Amino acid sequence: MSTQARAKPRALRLLSELRLVARQVRYEQLSFWLNPIGAIFTVGFSLLFLVMLGASAGSSRISYLNNIKLVQYYVPGFIAYGVMSASFNSLAISLVIRRETGLLKRLRLSPLPTWTLLTSILLSTLLIAFAQVVLMLVVGRWAFGVHPPSGASALLALVVVLVLGGLSFAALGIAMSTLIPNQQAAGPLTSTVFFVLLFLSGLWFPLKSGSALAKVSTYFPIRHFITAVFKTFSHPGASPWALNDMAVLVIWGAVAAVIALRRFRWAPRQT
Amino acid sequence: MPAVSVRGLAKSYGSLRAVAGVSFEVQPGEVFALLGPNGAGKTTTLEILEGFRNRDAGEVRVLGIDPGDRRSGPQLRSQLGVVLQELAVEPFLTVRQVLERNAGYYPAPRPVGEVIELVGLAEQADRKVKTLSGGQQRRLDVGLGIVGNPALLFLDEPTTGLDPAGRRTSWELVRRLAGEGTTVILTTHYMEEAEVLADEVAIIAGGRIVAHGPPSSLGGRDRGAATIRFQLPTGITRADLPIRVGGEGQAGELRTDRELEALYELTKWALEHQVQLAGLTVTRHSLEDVYLELTGGEAERFGSDSGQSEALPR
Repeated sequence: MSTQARAKPRALRLLSELRLVARQVRYEQLSFWLNPIGAIFTVGFSLLFLVMLGASAGSSRISYLNNIKLVQYYVPGFIAYGVMSASFNSLAISLVIRRETGLLKRLRLSPLPTWTLLTSILLSTLLIAFAQVVLMLVVGRWAFGVHPPSGASALLALVVVLVLGGLSFAALGIAMSTLIPNQQAAGPLTSTVFFVLLFLSGLWFPLKSGSALAKVSTYFPIRHFITAVFKTFSHPGASPWALNDMAVLVIWGAVAAVIALRRFRWAPRQT
Repeated sequence: MPAVSVRGLAKSYGSLRAVAGVSFEVQPGEVFALLGPNGAGKTTTLEILEGFRNRDAGEVRVLGIDPGDRRSGPQLRSQLGVVLQELAVEPFLTVRQVLERNAGYYPAPRPVGEVIELVGLAEQADRKVKTLSGGQQRRLDVGLGIVGNPALLFLDEPTTGLDPAGRRTSWELVRRLAGEGTTVILTTHYMEEAEVLADEVAIIAGGRIVAHGPPSSLGGRDRGAATIRFQLPTGITRADLPIRVGGEGQAGELRTDRELEALYELTKWALEHQVQLAGLTVTRHSLEDVYLELTGGEAERFGSDSGQSEALPR
């Protein structure tokens, strides 16, 4: 059997492994959506935030941000939030749970190649994130009259930013999971880090540029992500490509990926 | 070629020598039990054989493959079945979905319906895993271990937490798999389990194998270990008996490795003289006696600290 496996052309093996990825993504999705409370909590939370804050913002405008309507800031902001909550918050927590209950170890001991498993987890995370993006674009358009990015360049910019952000925050989520010792600590620790950084980064209220908070938040990736998504929404005369912000996201993602790869463990910490 | 051969295996965690020179062989189709107290090195040994952990030293071959060689990992794992100590099953999928998912990882899986029957979960097949009882989840866990139709199955304390009926069912399953030619390596705390299931037992303590052999002869328990006891009939002295008997007062006691002959002589004599041998018993060194004798010190030394974490699987 070994000689057969070796003799199998590389392309054919890649194809069968890609089929394994597709299959695994399907089961990852099934596992996510068959847990209704978890699914509603993850997907519904960002929508709930947008609707509540959007409704309470009414027609108020931000004087220090070209006098745009506040809700025009909230729609891209909560799109970014949705991506981050799926790829950072939920991924970190679910990885700790899967590690500590032995699920990761069991998968590691199956013949499923490691890269196909990790790829499936990442793809599945991005799918959940993008489901939220679509939902938020629709609600933003029909409930609050915020027009989604239009034109090929802006749409492409949006997709690139979301994929970059999704992958960077997924790397941060995996890195975060390696720092959490047990299941009980996973939710509280991750959420505390996440919500403190969200507050510092001006998700609830846009930061005035030059303010102390704005200076602090430039060192963290969240504000750059929100800004990059924000810029893809139509702003006359401005480019939808926030290249500097994207670069910061890539740097954070790369550092997190290095930590994640070095510290990743398959076996429970507790035994 | 043996299914598993291990020579001089060693593994340390920092200054703790978890496995300190372990050697054994397992033949194809054999059921091999690793017995030992918590922290003796059982799970570490298993994890090295499964390719999950690297060894520090020693020669290991599993189905002809070196489990330390990463490149042949998938090829080795496609022939292995593993049941861990932890109950590790996705809570929100149904029994059938989990089994179908894992079946897809293997080149020649067992039909999912057959696995469901084998582990006795036909009635629960379409229920979500989290609604199953602990014992049912454990059986599903075993199902996941055999769904790939493995040549070699690792069972790490497979019946811990099962009720007596569940334990019997699992034993029957292991026997059936062994009958089909699957090699099984299991760890257990239960002497009875090793005695009932295993062709070969190795007792491991402090990272070393302290006894090795078929359970019936382990630690010399099949030789010279039988003790015959009875009450001397009134008016009879030891000199009247056909064989030499020790003991004190009226209590006759005799240690022998030829208990069949001794019993025959005694009972023939008693029948001929029409006397009773009140309280006649024959006892043999139990596997548990051998185990406690061999691991007694180690159990105390290792049991308290590392036992704690093993007792809390979740």
